[in-house]
Amino acid sequence: MDFKLTEEQELLLSSIREMITRNFPADYFKKCDEEYRYPIEFMHALGENGISMLGVPEELGGIPADLLTQMLAIEEVGRMGAPCFLMMGAHCVHNMIDFGNKEQLAKTVEAVATGVPAYSLAITEPQAGSDNNMLGTTYTRKNGKVYLNGQKTFISGAADYPYMIVVARDPDGKDPKKCFSLWWVDPKSPGIRINRLHKIGWRMVSNCEVFFDNVEIDESALIGQEGNGFVHLMRNFEIERLTIAAYSLGPAECAFEEAARYTNQRVQFGKTIGSYQMIQDKLTQMAIKIENMKNFVYKVAWQDDNKQSLRLSSALCKLYCSQTAQEVIDDAMQIMGGVGYTEDCRISRLWRDIRVSRIGGGTDQIMTYIAGRQIVKQYAS
Amino acid sequence: MNIVACFKLVPEEQDIIVNGDRTLNLEKATPKISLYDLNAVEAATELAAAMPDSKVSALSVGGKILENSKARKDILSRGPDALYAVIDPALESALPRETAAALAAAVGKIGSYDLIICGEGSGDLYAQQVGLLLGSLLSVPVINEVSKITAGDGKVTVERTLETEVEVLEVPLPAVVCVTADINTPKIPSMKAILAAGKKPITVWSVTDIGASTGGAPVVMQSILAPAQADRKKVIVEGDSDDKVAAFVESLRKVL
Repeated sequence: MDFKLTEEQELLLSSIREMITRNFPADYFKKCDEEYRYPIEFMHALGENGISMLGVPEELGGIPADLLTQMLAIEEVGRMGAPCFLMMGAHCVHNMIDFGNKEQLAKTVEAVATGVPAYSLAITEPQAGSDNNMLGTTYTRKNGKVYLNGQKTFISGAADYPYMIVVARDPDGKDPKKCFSLWWVDPKSPGIRINRLHKIGWRMVSNCEVFFDNVEIDESALIGQEGNGFVHLMRNFEIERLTIAAYSLGPAECAFEEAARYTNQRVQFGKTIGSYQMIQDKLTQMAIKIENMKNFVYKVAWQDDNKQSLRLSSALCKLYCSQTAQEVIDDAMQIMGGVGYTEDCRISRLWRDIRVSRIGGGTDQIMTYIAGRQIVKQYAS
Repeated sequence: MNIVACFKLVPEEQDIIVNGDRTLNLEKATPKISLYDLNAVEAATELAAAMPDSKVSALSVGGKILENSKARKDILSRGPDALYAVIDPALESALPRETAAALAAAVGKIGSYDLIICGEGSGDLYAQQVGLLLGSLLSVPVINEVSKITAGDGKVTVERTLETEVEVLEVPLPAVVCVTADINTPKIPSMKAILAAGKKPITVWSVTDIGASTGGAPVVMQSILAPAQADRKKVIVEGDSDDKVAAFVESLRKVL
């Protein structure tokens, strides 16, 4: 088994480090976080450098890279203390390659090339999280137009991204598996109202309630096949789970490294705290967890690169990494003591941000539900 | 315009271990592009971008360090169209004169050139001599401390930022210029450039291939040692009375 990175991967990670170190000091992200501001300059830099187009086919102006390289890039951005959870450009493009039309794909690529994910994904509703069948937002037709009505919530980037993909139900549809469709929407369209939600973390991107009141769109706004909304979306859910695992890994490494450095500086009772075995034990356990997370993320990415199924592994990986990263960052805060609890220390931001990894993209419990059934089935005979 | 950007690979400072006898252990030090040479490469690529049909060749001479494939991709990801490397045991610890002689011979082997750009000094020895020696050996105009280059017809206009004035000079081509660290901010290689770097042509020569003479060096390296470390005196003066302040000043005076 070869764990060595290629020279290109090493140079790519070095380029990411250089870009963040030179242009985006910790204070920049601290300020964006304080101001609940989307770090547009940082995202444009990701676009300019080509990081946002990693994994997008060359014929679309992208940069060919396997999924492992894409995960390494996300990890490195997170390790540098930057908000890696905003990196979802390639995912947006792949969705549109799989089920969008030419115009939707072109708009997606145009936005992603600037570093900004093209669209927010409006699925969740107040009464329908993982239970998709309860979605109540409808689409109806009248005089050659399509009208959206309903309410979404927790929509990431709804106030930041140029477009929105809305999952809506055909109210006359009998078969629940065939009544949901995807619609391409301009969030500034008449009839759309967006309210920002106030969260403890992920302050650098909006999460919103979105209200649709007779929002008029054209038939051409349909994405993919009518009635196949979830079939389309589910195809890339497994990659999303792996991506969230990588979103967790990078910040965990950032917090670990910061805390480990601190143990060499902080002196108590005449000695650096790193000389105490309780701190050494904590660092050791954190290091083991980080190694495990790395191995898991890399392996699942490798599986996809080798056309193997991620159905089970991506759910296990997301569950493990989102929980474990939270433990590591929490331990990092414990090592930092009072300093770690202040907003001057970026570990406090990472601590707030990491929590949602266990909720978004499917909760821990949903990951267990997905994985558990498959494990039992594997040993059925 | 044919531009040659000279660069040197140096050991990563952070990886250098100082031995007990003050000698340097470079075994674990990975190669990196000398910081000041990044400005030279950037100046070359910016100039080429402003002049249609220009070509930038990166050129380096040295020992085994130049065999590092990642470092080669690194330099090519920063804009040059091709890389020329002269690798020879005779150049392993080359001093400025041998380096300049090898560069001059290599430039002759590359063929025609309009402008050669060097950094202000190397990241390790920082002798600031190679560019000037190179111009002299090639018998072409050579200007150092250049903080701006503008290309013209058969010439370049360069600026030298001096203490109280900016000197503007027109330099006929071919020429050698040594640029300062503040001439530009080197661009960070894009993902596309990194992936394309591996496909660019690399030419490797030995000293014999380029017909350079490295013998008869006027200066011979004796040793490179880290500065001697002085033990801390650990003199602590507590209090703010006149006596204490006087004692503090006296302690300082003794070591200054």
